[in-house]
Amino acid sequence: MPVIGIPTAELRRRIGEEVEGDKLLEVLGDMGCDVEGLATLRRVQCVRCGFVMELAGKEDTPPTCGNCTTPLRDVDGATREMSPIEVVRMELLAVRPDMFDPAGLARAIRGVLGIETGPIEYASHDVVAKLTVDPSVRREKSLRPHIACAVIENVTLDDDSIKLLMKLQENLHWALGRNRKHASIGVYDLDSLGGETEFEYTTEPPDYRFVPLGATGSEPWTLERILDEHAKGRAYANLLQGFDRYPILRSKSGQVLSMPPIINSEETKVHGKSRRFFIDVTGSGARIVQKTLAILVTSILEYHKDAKLGLVEIHGATDAGEVDGPTTTLVTPDLSPQIARVDSEHTAKLLGIPMTTDDLDELLRKMRHGISKRNGTEIEVQVPAYRNDILHERDLMEDAAIAFGYRNIPRALVPTLTVGKELHSTRVTSDLRDVLVGMGYLEIFTIALTSTEQGDELLGLDPHPRAVVLDNPISADQTQLRTSLLPGLLQTFARNRHNALPQRVFELGEVSFLSDEAETGAHERHYVAFGTIAPKVGFAEIRAEAEAFAREVRVEFRLERAEVPFLVPGRAAFLVGKDGGPVGIFGEVHPRTLARLGLQNPAVMFEMVVPTETGTPPYLALGQLPLQK
Amino acid sequence: MELTPDESRVLTELTGDEIAMPDLVARVGEDQAKVAAACTLLAEKGLVTVREVPFVEFVFKGDPLPEGWTPPRQQIFAALTDAGEPLPMQEVAARAGLEPQAVGQNLKGLLSSGAVAKQGGNLALTGKPFACPETDAVRLLVQKGTARESELLADGVNVEALREFGPAALGKKAILEREKTDRFVQLTAAGEERKASGVEAVREVSQITPELLASGEWESVRFKPYDIHLETEPFRTGKKHPLQRVLESTWQAFLEMGFEESVSSYVESGFWDFDALFQPQDHPAREMQDTFYVAKPGKTPLPDEELVRRVRETHETGGDTGSVGWRYKWDPAKAMQNVLRTHTTATTVREVAKNPKGPRKVFSIGRVFRRETIDYKHLPIFYQVDGIIIDKDASFSTLLGTLAAFYERMGFEKFYFRPGFFPYTEPSVEVFIWHEEKQDWFEMGGSGIFRPEVTEPLGCTEPVLAWGLGLDRLAMLLHDRSDIRDLYLSDLDWLREEPRCR
Repeated sequence: MPVIGIPTAELRRRIGEEVEGDKLLEVLGDMGCDVEGLATLRRVQCVRCGFVMELAGKEDTPPTCGNCTTPLRDVDGATREMSPIEVVRMELLAVRPDMFDPAGLARAIRGVLGIETGPIEYASHDVVAKLTVDPSVRREKSLRPHIACAVIENVTLDDDSIKLLMKLQENLHWALGRNRKHASIGVYDLDSLGGETEFEYTTEPPDYRFVPLGATGSEPWTLERILDEHAKGRAYANLLQGFDRYPILRSKSGQVLSMPPIINSEETKVHGKSRRFFIDVTGSGARIVQKTLAILVTSILEYHKDAKLGLVEIHGATDAGEVDGPTTTLVTPDLSPQIARVDSEHTAKLLGIPMTTDDLDELLRKMRHGISKRNGTEIEVQVPAYRNDILHERDLMEDAAIAFGYRNIPRALVPTLTVGKELHSTRVTSDLRDVLVGMGYLEIFTIALTSTEQGDELLGLDPHPRAVVLDNPISADQTQLRTSLLPGLLQTFARNRHNALPQRVFELGEVSFLSDEAETGAHERHYVAFGTIAPKVGFAEIRAEAEAFAREVRVEFRLERAEVPFLVPGRAAFLVGKDGGPVGIFGEVHPRTLARLGLQNPAVMFEMVVPTETGTPPYLALGQLPLQK
Repeated sequence: MELTPDESRVLTELTGDEIAMPDLVARVGEDQAKVAAACTLLAEKGLVTVREVPFVEFVFKGDPLPEGWTPPRQQIFAALTDAGEPLPMQEVAARAGLEPQAVGQNLKGLLSSGAVAKQGGNLALTGKPFACPETDAVRLLVQKGTARESELLADGVNVEALREFGPAALGKKAILEREKTDRFVQLTAAGEERKASGVEAVREVSQITPELLASGEWESVRFKPYDIHLETEPFRTGKKHPLQRVLESTWQAFLEMGFEESVSSYVESGFWDFDALFQPQDHPAREMQDTFYVAKPGKTPLPDEELVRRVRETHETGGDTGSVGWRYKWDPAKAMQNVLRTHTTATTVREVAKNPKGPRKVFSIGRVFRRETIDYKHLPIFYQVDGIIIDKDASFSTLLGTLAAFYERMGFEKFYFRPGFFPYTEPSVEVFIWHEEKQDWFEMGGSGIFRPEVTEPLGCTEPVLAWGLGLDRLAMLLHDRSDIRDLYLSDLDWLREEPRCR
């Protein structure tokens, strides 16, 4: 999760009531924010585009501007130092993108603290612009079908508010847009378009040209060049892979606003003197595009209290994916609340706290919901348009619980009596541990992921035919699940070469095998292994211990000579079970294996299958090795 | 006053008259060291006095000297005299019948006599008289082998010359001068009294043997006392692993609270690991970057059609759960893909499907897998305990109570429940415990009430409380480790030294 810094002074100003430092962090925590604490950040501004970068601690100025990609580090006069700022550092709460900026966060805190409850009406006036969607955005090779737009008028910007707006866009791209795949946002200076109110969303071939953001004074670039050479082009080109035409948003007179979801145009960029914004969100799903716009717009309106919202009429919009399918005309943004219902009796029962309908009403209003109707214990709730996480009545119950405060919820136990019952395997393995501890063995845990090199090859065996193999391993020595505990035992000896001898260790754990009988195609078996490394140890010791152990486990066995690459020939034996197959093995470790691990003392080891309720399964650690008679 | 057997025997041989130590040793018939030690102890007890007289002694340790031997200085002087002219050192050695280095060793003594001088690389006579005062002393010492300084003086030889020129003449290692002490032992009045009262010799034993016990002799022997502070070979006990002890305490706690134990396979289908838990198919947790996908066995067949239909509809539209769903097209192929289970919630949700009727309490302790690079905080494998309570009277309040009861059982007293956000529970909560020594909160895991979108498609209409809590971190806290690798890449010294009892 990305970590954000919410400016403390700005947040307090917007909360409006005095909240002490610790209390502020506590309130944020109680709302579910993962707060790291307070921090003071250095701020440097890119002189060229005005973008402000916040630097924690000793962090150096970034090599290039995060917005316009101008080189900054070691370039005199490229940056300007601003006054440091105190922030609350916290992880982005992905499910609540409406709380990503100080304005939206303060809106939620004011509710929870009871300073101001119920919904906020964001007044919109008339339709002030029109956008036409060209059907080519629904072609398979230029597919980015959905768009929603808004106009915001009467904004006053400064360095801080521009910075916050950019941050908010970036964070919405992460949380809702999935790195611009599902939704990407563009904000433009409407005044730069000379009073134009008609726009089109269309596609153009790779040789189409405009001047991208950051390329001031240069000739127009082709779309192809933007994807190949521009920093943002390279970063997001994968989203347009396989396209033969690229999305373009432009005014009726031909001024390009942006190439979604890659880059805006230089001419229409927002700056300190911008007073009116044109905003678009494009993406692959109609709902997420609408939602992203609603969240962005309400956060801007919440921040800029004097700003006014203008609506945009979208012609040629469609829900269907066909190029020439039926279309409709939409008016965006849609800030109408979502209607949901919740019952106070259900809520009280689920949360386990006494609650009247009035109580629930109040708690929901604290979470900034509106109440449109009440019918007995049922409440009809108007969920603000900026909420993206209300799928079910249950989500409103959680909202009520958060408003009530988790710390105020009494803790109780379920009154019903049930009887505990353990698995047979847990009981047996616990008994075996007692036996091994009694024999003076020290228990170890090893990682159950291994590789053929670390596992089979170490033992001199062929790759195990029944190993569970990973599709996307993260390292070369962890590509499959283990099929034996012996390699882990030997590697523990190797890792402890410098510790005192004798070393006597055991591991009792699960190994995994492919199995046609298992539902998912693989299952686990409990195996047990123990071993000793010491200046003087040999077959006689391990045989005595193997027999003593098997007797405690109540396994009936006889011994047969074993010839395996990792044990000394003539000093190794299989434990053979009642049905004639091996259930375990033990012996003196072959010097070849010891040498591989750099071990300079003799070692002996033992491995066996742990019996189940129904008997002792065959010992499969060695793959298909035939039993030596 | 207790006497050791050695002390008793020494005491028996002593009288009021002074006796020299060598004579006493001969009388007692024990070795010198034992008798001397006994005398020291007896002196400490005030039973004897030991008078010490220091003296100096010379010892010759070389081979006997040949007939007519003269010191090398003398031989060199004679050779130069015979030559009648200055000679190079090499030549001097040859003519004197000496090793070249013997000339070097005796050079200092020759030059100091004044009779010989160095002329460039040659040795020459100066004409001054030459004498060799050590000759008699050396001959006498060689003859005696060992001689006290007083003895040699009495024989009239030049001891000072022996000291000065002897080592060069005989070789440094052949002659030794050392300081020694004569000891004379005598009973004190108390000693005479003690001796008169009767001294019995008691046998001292170190090892208790079967013979000693059988013969009854143990009644009359004395057991040699040991130095109890002396270091011994460390003894190493067998022990369960610290993480295992935490797993067992967890197991014990849930059994006591009336939970039945469950288990499922490490390899799990996307269906049970994610889809049945209402985790949308494009959820970041399902990406290849975070989850281990399994190549072999690659797929699990979907469960029965009716169940799959209900899960699909819930994802797409909410089905008949009252939810609006995630609103996307659900893909059965993704649900069939095998992964290494990312949580043991896969185990417990299978239990809900198996028997959705409450009251039931189920728990499962097991390894889970996340695609993480190994560092001090992360491992690709760790242990979780998952639990569920299916009960018509289950509530968020009883969820918090159950979690608190578990951690109280594990030895913690303060808890913090913070709202959490998981796709499959609502309300959701993250559990923190307060560590008194570290004075800090530690996050232990996630919990909540299964969403209706999870339980209803499985045929369960009662509330289902659920949690998945990390156990490795609990083990680290309880055993004060800051590096999670310590648990799996074992340093045996740590395991040996970490006490079993807390």
